[in-house]
Amino acid sequence: MKKYAMVIDSSVCIDCKACMASCKVQNNVPRGYWRNWIKHTIPDFSKGPLTRTHFQPGGCMQCDNPTCVQACPSGATYKDPQNGIVHVNEALCIGCGNCIKACPYDARFRHPDKRVPDKCDFCFSSGRLERGLLPACVDTCPTKARVFGDLSDPDSDVSRLLRDKPAVRVLAKGGIDTKPNMYYVAATAPTDWAGEVEFPGAFTVMATLVNPVVKVAVGLSALGVAVMWAKQIFSPDKEESEHESSAPGKD
Amino acid sequence: MNERMIHRHTRLSIFMHWFNAFCWFALLLTGLGLIKNEQLNPVGAWFPSLMRSLFGGGENLLMVHQYLGLIWAGAFLAYVLFKRRETWAFLKEVFTVSPASDMLWLVKMNLKMTMGRKGLQRFGLTPDMPPQGFYNFGQKLFAQASVVGGVVIVVTGLVMFFSTISMDNPGPAAWSRVIHYLTVGVVFAGLLVHIFMAAISREERPAFMSMFTGNVSEHYARHHHPLWHAQVATEKDKDD
Amino acid sequence: MKPATDSSTREHGMKTEAKTLSRRGFLQASAAVAATAAGVPALKGYVSSAHAAGVAQQAPITSHYTVCDMCFNRCGMIAQVQNGRVVKLDPNPKFLKSRGMLCARGNAAVEHLYDPDRLKTPLLRKGARGEGKWQQLTWEQALDHTAEQFTRIAEKYTRCGVMFSPGSDMQSQFLNRFAEVFGSYNITSHETLCLLSKNRAYLDTFGETPYADVLYSKYIIIAGANPLEAIITPDTIDLMEARKNGCKIVVLDPRYTKTAALADEWFAIRPGTDMAFFLALTSVITEERLYDPDFAEKMLFGLDEYAAHVRQYTPEWAAGECGIPAQDIRRIAREIAAAAPASMIYPGRRSSDYEDSTQIRRSMAIANALLSNWDRPGGVLAAREVGVRAPYFDVPWYDDNPADRIDHGMAPGLIHHEGSFKLMRDAIIKGEPYPIRGWFTFKTNFMQTAANRNKTLEMLNHLDFVVNADIVMSDTAWYSDLVLPSPSFLERNDPVSALQGSSACACAVWRDAVVPAMYECRDMLWICTELSKRLGFPESFDFTLDEYRKSQLESIPEAFEAIKADGVYYNPSKVYGIYFDSPLKTQAQKIELFNQRYAHEGLDPMPVYKAPRRKEGAFRLVVGRTAFFTHSNTNNALLIEFKDENTLWMHPRPAAKLGLKDGEMVEVESSAGKVALALRLFEGMEEETVYMATGFGALSPELRLVHNRGASIAEVLEDHSDFISGNMAMHETLVTVTRRVG
Repeated sequence: MKKYAMVIDSSVCIDCKACMASCKVQNNVPRGYWRNWIKHTIPDFSKGPLTRTHFQPGGCMQCDNPTCVQACPSGATYKDPQNGIVHVNEALCIGCGNCIKACPYDARFRHPDKRVPDKCDFCFSSGRLERGLLPACVDTCPTKARVFGDLSDPDSDVSRLLRDKPAVRVLAKGGIDTKPNMYYVAATAPTDWAGEVEFPGAFTVMATLVNPVVKVAVGLSALGVAVMWAKQIFSPDKEESEHESSAPGKD
Repeated sequence: MNERMIHRHTRLSIFMHWFNAFCWFALLLTGLGLIKNEQLNPVGAWFPSLMRSLFGGGENLLMVHQYLGLIWAGAFLAYVLFKRRETWAFLKEVFTVSPASDMLWLVKMNLKMTMGRKGLQRFGLTPDMPPQGFYNFGQKLFAQASVVGGVVIVVTGLVMFFSTISMDNPGPAAWSRVIHYLTVGVVFAGLLVHIFMAAISREERPAFMSMFTGNVSEHYARHHHPLWHAQVATEKDKDD
Repeated sequence: MKPATDSSTREHGMKTEAKTLSRRGFLQASAAVAATAAGVPALKGYVSSAHAAGVAQQAPITSHYTVCDMCFNRCGMIAQVQNGRVVKLDPNPKFLKSRGMLCARGNAAVEHLYDPDRLKTPLLRKGARGEGKWQQLTWEQALDHTAEQFTRIAEKYTRCGVMFSPGSDMQSQFLNRFAEVFGSYNITSHETLCLLSKNRAYLDTFGETPYADVLYSKYIIIAGANPLEAIITPDTIDLMEARKNGCKIVVLDPRYTKTAALADEWFAIRPGTDMAFFLALTSVITEERLYDPDFAEKMLFGLDEYAAHVRQYTPEWAAGECGIPAQDIRRIAREIAAAAPASMIYPGRRSSDYEDSTQIRRSMAIANALLSNWDRPGGVLAAREVGVRAPYFDVPWYDDNPADRIDHGMAPGLIHHEGSFKLMRDAIIKGEPYPIRGWFTFKTNFMQTAANRNKTLEMLNHLDFVVNADIVMSDTAWYSDLVLPSPSFLERNDPVSALQGSSACACAVWRDAVVPAMYECRDMLWICTELSKRLGFPESFDFTLDEYRKSQLESIPEAFEAIKADGVYYNPSKVYGIYFDSPLKTQAQKIELFNQRYAHEGLDPMPVYKAPRRKEGAFRLVVGRTAFFTHSNTNNALLIEFKDENTLWMHPRPAAKLGLKDGEMVEVESSAGKVALALRLFEGMEEETVYMATGFGALSPELRLVHNRGASIAEVLEDHSDFISGNMAMHETLVTVTRRVG
């Protein structure tokens, strides 16, 4: 059982976009869309010579408490128990867009041709991991700001880094901790960009209104049937049964 | 039985009924198997898991559900197209109600089925039922729900089917699923009663049998569907 | 590398060994587990797999070593080929020069290869130049026509009547060879718009061109360079690694570049005043005797003269010139001297900035000399031995040729085999000292990269025949008479190339075609071979590429196997102390703070500060690039997403004075020309400076992504040149900025 994660030393990121380009080619990400990103702070020029910008690479955080998975009614998006990757089963997806809204990191987009969500899966579906290669963004990164590995292996680079250095995670606003598996070596910035977890209206209505209504309706119906059945078994109407079996009616 | 039999259902109707029954059953099971979500599972996670194991993955389940749904809807569409007169007659029949007597029938039938004749007496009602036509009001109600629900289910199903093929906005698919699920739920609630009345209760046993043979006894017709019986009798007289 | 059959075994070998080198292959043990991880059951085989999660059934992928050509760095890469198509390019983890990385451009080479705008057949111009009417030719016709034109020009105007611009491709050496055998001295290329001033300065100080040992440095001042965006391997990567190890980085740049954004200190220096800073810095070092006296004694020539010379250049004086406070200059001088010899002034690369650029860079070189970092860890290194030979060839003598190249004597420090495009262009327009009527360019795009595009157009009016070999219809190709389609670097076999990456490596690489050449594309060796037959010197190109490589690697035959196995050969040659026992290649055989040749030629033997021109109401235009594009190679479907047109950067304060608003269209005008582009207000600009990125506003409609997008620097830059080296001076243009009307 593996638990893939990424530990990012954003202090060495030079915003060269190699990770974004590499990902795009490897995963055939369509024009205008990206599976990963580099965010940055806004420089404060009042600091004069000490003005700095911090660049911060990111992507799907493969959360342990994935709200995208929670928002998917069909299990088309799911967390892989074997490795912790949050996958999209495109063949099971009907493209309802619930998961895209439910991600506080904006890590998903609706693929314009396939019309299903698309996201980073640590290059799993491209076959890189199977071929023993690192995710495309990690492999290509000039300054090795992105480090990838298995958290359940204490000797992995990511485990070692997390032991050696204090790390932080970028968390969603609004109190829901999605338990992301993307760790930033402390002092990363910006850290306040994640949004709130937003379960779309269609999902909320289905979960809180429609589902109870259906359960009640079916339940009542089943209750009625049960009563009728019980009546038929335990106190059948004599005349009725006679009436049924005897050929000529009285009326 | 030497009693005179009256023709009630054509072979095609019988086929359509059982074809529909099969499709509904299969679509219900596969559809239920498609819902796999902690907050939504109507019967628990074991069921979608079981269905996925049986079908070799959710994507196969979805495909069976989608294509069976299309076949089901397609068959009805063909029926409507090729049997326009029969379709019209059917719709006219099931959507024509006489509120006063039909409501009374419904109340009486409910009491009768759950409490028997004593129940009717207890509420000061006479044991005779308001006369019913080809379909009784209960059957009409369920037929109405099936027709309206069926259309809604097909439309929302098509929206979901085409969502990943040609729709650029995910909203319709998301809401279609909600409506699809709600409609199926309501129709299924009616279906439980329908199945009980037709297949389990003694009351409608002849009607159940007619869904195989196509015929009911004149006695049954006169007793349960007097208006229809009267109509049939008149037509027969004319023919004679 | 051969495809299919043995690539799997080779890949395996590559991976296992790579474990010690990099992170590649660490997942291998788990590959089998990963394969089943998606848990997609058996029935999936019967259904459409196009939408399935997990790893779809794929055609086999083969891996091939090659070397990137998206810029000059030549990073080792592994091309992954599936169904005959390059599907992905990954870094070669064994390639130490690039520290096993591949930048955005390298990754986007897939789009370069499959660019729909690529040239597909030879094309002959039919209408007027730039009109875009072309006739398709067969190669036979194209080569016959070229030979005919060259012969005609040679007969009428001598063989020097054809100018050659061979570019900086791995096959450029063939066009160089061709030019020399053909008999033209007039060879010039991209370098004369780029690094010549820096090379000249270091040659005239150390006798060598410098390699910065960034990785082991503890203190680096970066001026006139932006290595985090204009990527240089291994410097760019090493800079961040050095920083992790506590190296302090000070950046002087009128623009807040990404290098500035990640530095410890950034000073928005007034453009063109770098020399003032370095003269003051060295005045502090000499006055406070912060240099290593033993090193000075042994290695420096003219220290006393220099110390006396810079006494006038106090930090207080420099502060008035460059805008950096005197106490900061003094502090930085003390800090960098304390970190010496593992500290440096980063030499930079493109130094085609000012008319005084050689002297500016010399002031930086001298500062390095005073840090005694020459030939030492963390300092400035000499070229290492790689062992790749330049194959010999006979250069015939043609009696009727003029005495020398056309720009000879026009700049005192002209580097002979590079010349100066700027000076040559002027000479061609004047027709003096002799006419040039033909031009052969290969993968260089002067129309877009050389200052003053209108002058380049004017030069074309003096040329009878312009032939251009390139991958796409560059602006230069668009104005040519004959266009020859070249294969991309992934489609051809290239000769051996020797590379040095400071202390990282001295290495040799070659390219084998990853996929076959598409369309009618032919490489430069083939073109030269065919032309040599038609021009009567077939014996100069009577070799195969394999024979050529063999001759290149004559002294290091072990390189063959290494390149085949790893994609790269490393020569374990000496890194530091190369000159420990031997004299430098300068006249004084020491580091020349005082340059005797300059004195002899009437040039300032020591850098003398000249304040940059200023004009009321005008801005100094500086140019540069991003990490996504190399020069004018912007027509890339992937990279264009990072930046789809250039803007004019300006500080909000002067903009407010001019009443200009962010995002509006402005006209930028110089004496050379006028362009219109959107304004970007940015506080990270020195207030008298405006900035434009290179590579936009292409004239060629066949560069569909950048045609008329943004504006071309070539259109608005005036063509000044470095007095000493003849290098183009691209930061000497003062422009006015106004709101575009209508």
